[in-house]
Amino acid sequence: METTSAGDILILGPVLPEIFLALTGMALLMVGVFTRDPEGDVADQAMAARLVNRLAVGALLVALVLVVAVSPEARVTTLGDMFVLDGYAVFFKVLVLLASMLSLLMSSQYLELVRSARFEYPTLVVFATVGMLMMISANDFLALYIGLELQSLCLYVLATFQREDVRSSEAGLKYFILSSLASGILLYGISLIYGFTGTINFDLLGQVFVGYGGEVPPLGVLTGLMFVLAGLAFKISAVPFHMWTPDVYDGAPTPATAFFSVGPKIAAVALLMRVMMEPFVGLVDQWQQVIVLISIASMLVGAFAAIVQTNIKRLMAYSSIGHVGYALMGLAAGSEAGVRGVMVYMAIYLFMNLGAFACILSMRRRDTMVVGIGDLAGLSKTQPALAAALAIFMFSLAGVPPVAGFFAKLYIFVAAVDAGLFVLAVIGVLSSVVAAYYYLRIVKIMYFDEATQPLDRAVGREVGWVMLGTGVLVLLFFLYPEPLLANAASAATALLGS
Amino acid sequence: MGGVRAAGLASHRDNTMGALLAEYQLLAEYLPILIFLGIAIVVAGAAVAMSYVVAQQRPDVAKESPYECGFEPFEDSRSKFDVRFYLVAILFIIFDLEVAFLFPWAVALTDIGAFGFWSMMVFLAVLTVGFIYEWRKGALEWE
Amino acid sequence: MVEFWDVYLWPTLWIVLQIVAIVAPLLLAVAYLTYFERKVIGAMHLRLGPNVVGPFGLLQPIADGMKLFFKETVVPTGANRAVFVIAPMITFILALVAWAVIPFGPGLVLADINVGLLYLFGISSLGVYGIIMAGWASNSKYAFLGSLRSAAQMVSYEVSMGLIIVTVVLCVGSLNLSDIVRAQEGSLGMFNWFVFPLLPMAVIFFVSTLAETNRHPFDLPEAEAELVSGYNVEYSAMTFALFFLGEYANMILMSAMTTILFLGGWLPPFNFAPFTWVPGPVWFALKIAACLFVFVWVRATFPRYRYDQLMRLGWKVFLPISLVAVVVVAGAVAVFGWAPAEGVIHR
Repeated sequence: METTSAGDILILGPVLPEIFLALTGMALLMVGVFTRDPEGDVADQAMAARLVNRLAVGALLVALVLVVAVSPEARVTTLGDMFVLDGYAVFFKVLVLLASMLSLLMSSQYLELVRSARFEYPTLVVFATVGMLMMISANDFLALYIGLELQSLCLYVLATFQREDVRSSEAGLKYFILSSLASGILLYGISLIYGFTGTINFDLLGQVFVGYGGEVPPLGVLTGLMFVLAGLAFKISAVPFHMWTPDVYDGAPTPATAFFSVGPKIAAVALLMRVMMEPFVGLVDQWQQVIVLISIASMLVGAFAAIVQTNIKRLMAYSSIGHVGYALMGLAAGSEAGVRGVMVYMAIYLFMNLGAFACILSMRRRDTMVVGIGDLAGLSKTQPALAAALAIFMFSLAGVPPVAGFFAKLYIFVAAVDAGLFVLAVIGVLSSVVAAYYYLRIVKIMYFDEATQPLDRAVGREVGWVMLGTGVLVLLFFLYPEPLLANAASAATALLGS
Repeated sequence: MGGVRAAGLASHRDNTMGALLAEYQLLAEYLPILIFLGIAIVVAGAAVAMSYVVAQQRPDVAKESPYECGFEPFEDSRSKFDVRFYLVAILFIIFDLEVAFLFPWAVALTDIGAFGFWSMMVFLAVLTVGFIYEWRKGALEWE
Repeated sequence: MVEFWDVYLWPTLWIVLQIVAIVAPLLLAVAYLTYFERKVIGAMHLRLGPNVVGPFGLLQPIADGMKLFFKETVVPTGANRAVFVIAPMITFILALVAWAVIPFGPGLVLADINVGLLYLFGISSLGVYGIIMAGWASNSKYAFLGSLRSAAQMVSYEVSMGLIIVTVVLCVGSLNLSDIVRAQEGSLGMFNWFVFPLLPMAVIFFVSTLAETNRHPFDLPEAEAELVSGYNVEYSAMTFALFFLGEYANMILMSAMTTILFLGGWLPPFNFAPFTWVPGPVWFALKIAACLFVFVWVRATFPRYRYDQLMRLGWKVFLPISLVAVVVVAGAVAVFGWAPAEGVIHR
């Protein structure tokens, strides 16, 4: 590995969004800490939180513009080959920034309601986003790990953000302990790979692995690969590393759960896909079967375990496990169509999931948040708009045509069939039929059950806008899918063509 | 016979050890510290042990009970304590790591030039932001 | 066989001899430091101090030592016996082994390692273990609280001490203690010592050493009035003596560190006779004695800090100042090529 000079390291153009966000994050910390009177009460803190929240949303928007502005024609690496920017990274960065922005928009109302509005929340989201952007652009295991840790450390705190709530603290602690374990496993895998190949750079690793020429690689490399896979599977909450998901999603404050279910998941899927398709593409025979197994297990657990849930946040947790299973199906295909399918899937998943959480965030009764599925009974009569929105998202999550979720699954299944993974595709279809049961059960409860106690008719302004926006996108996706498909296709080419 | 064998063994060891020592001159520099540590342990252990042997030991219940102003101790002494001590410990870890990070940088500063200097300044600036934050949050207060 | 003797035994014996030559005077110095302290404070209080045992009370420390030696070793019920006994030993051992890297004169050093300063810093920060272990193992509330306070205090001041050490390292470009002393050599004599260009740092460093050794005015951990001597309340006889010896040896060590970092180590204050006739180790000892005098002087003069004041001083005054100092000194060294002393060697 040739040494890099200071000049090479200092090409900061491609890293501009990350640098901007990191600086903004620190600035927000200062803004928050200096606007708030240190002895101030809850209202004081909420005011600072609202200010910082708006600034953070603005900063994320600017970062979004920057990401698009610096998006290069061809693949660029910088920071001593640790950082890569290509169409693939830009695509996922846009998704992640949208996820952070929208979930942040929805957060302030909830946090004020539970008297936990503090300016650290938006700041932590911004820092977590920096970590995710780094993950997506990592071209080196070290950069990968640093991005992942920056993201995870922020998420642990976000999970415990409702400090007075026992379950929130429990969620954060569980998340922290299990996630640290996963990080350790990941690091161990990285060290094994480094030990057997002598490099942690993705490009060089790719050359080494292609050099095996289809031979069975050394056992150390295989073990390392499995450890890396296990660590990353934990981060995307794929079975059998999903145990933390329901508890964390349930215990964490709902806006944080909304964020967890999209931002980090999309970033981790992007990361997993880059790691598998760039450095480890030479070992595709080795990892493909593992990904297939993880995918099947995730889909089945997501489908069957969600049936018995009565808490909608837990249901969404299992639902997200299932969706990761579908996404991994595209990765298992290992083809360009598969990668494109995953990208389309994650994009659509982002909108339908955030929309669903916008609806969950509107579930209140006498100014207290409720999360029981039974609480939705009769919603169609008391709040037809909310019920219609939630129904759209549920149809989409179930994959019922013609809403967006159907197309997301379609591309994935087609890619899997093209790659000859018939069993996987069949199991996918069957499990989505099972999953449709619990999604549609919610619709049934809303439309056909009698309301016992109606929910408040108070949908917050920001939440309402997010709900409307995502709802329209999900519902009318089939009218104009070209931009997303074209972008995903060129991004997939960017990943595989290099 | 035994003598010859021992000599052979010694010269054999000498060859390897001597080579090792020459090669690891760095480690040889630490040998006095190791010996010093051994001597210090022996001195400390001997002082306590000899005093224990020489002095008359006549324990009784009152003498061996923990001091509590003449009362019988009425609860476990290893009780909960102020969370601020944890806070101090965590702050210490952050800043002590920073110091550990600064040492090699300080030694090599003239070699790494302006790039090295500014890299560390960025790092310190980030740290300072955190420091200001915790100051304003009152983590450094001890009322 | 001859080889074995030549290659292994004699060098080892020689090292052992050197160590004895360090430890024996050190322990004597510790003993007489207590005498010195009592006499000086006595004089400052217009009292006599110890004057009964031997001429001018000169045998007092020996008598104290003998007394402690022949006392009963009390281990309280409910204490972790092993930890309880090991804790004072750790304090004592650490206070001794730190001296392995101290240069007493040009070339007069047991282990001339290139990371001497790091070693010293590391050993002195390990000292907190002895105290925490003692407080925990005693199974006594006073000892427990005292040890917590003591540990928090020591780690708080260690941070600023570390940063100040970094400023010195910046000026020298080496962690070797002999190099640090030589960097302060120059035509101006004592005006080349780092104490002048780095004056505020030297003061903060010295105050931090007071806190680091739990000395007045930062002797909160043993605050007699509230914690009945803090973490060592349950200790008696030789175990107590080891704590006592360790603490005083640490005082001397910290004075030696101040001397090496800021007061030119073994260098004479002026570069002409008769000052240059006096051998280096004597200057070294004199400078240490001067520092120790300040230790005692501070004890006789200043009232004790409150705990919140102590923490505020450490975190809100010393830490920011020394952080700024690191930036300023580094900027001066790196950007302007400025170096405070003529003798600076950059390797």
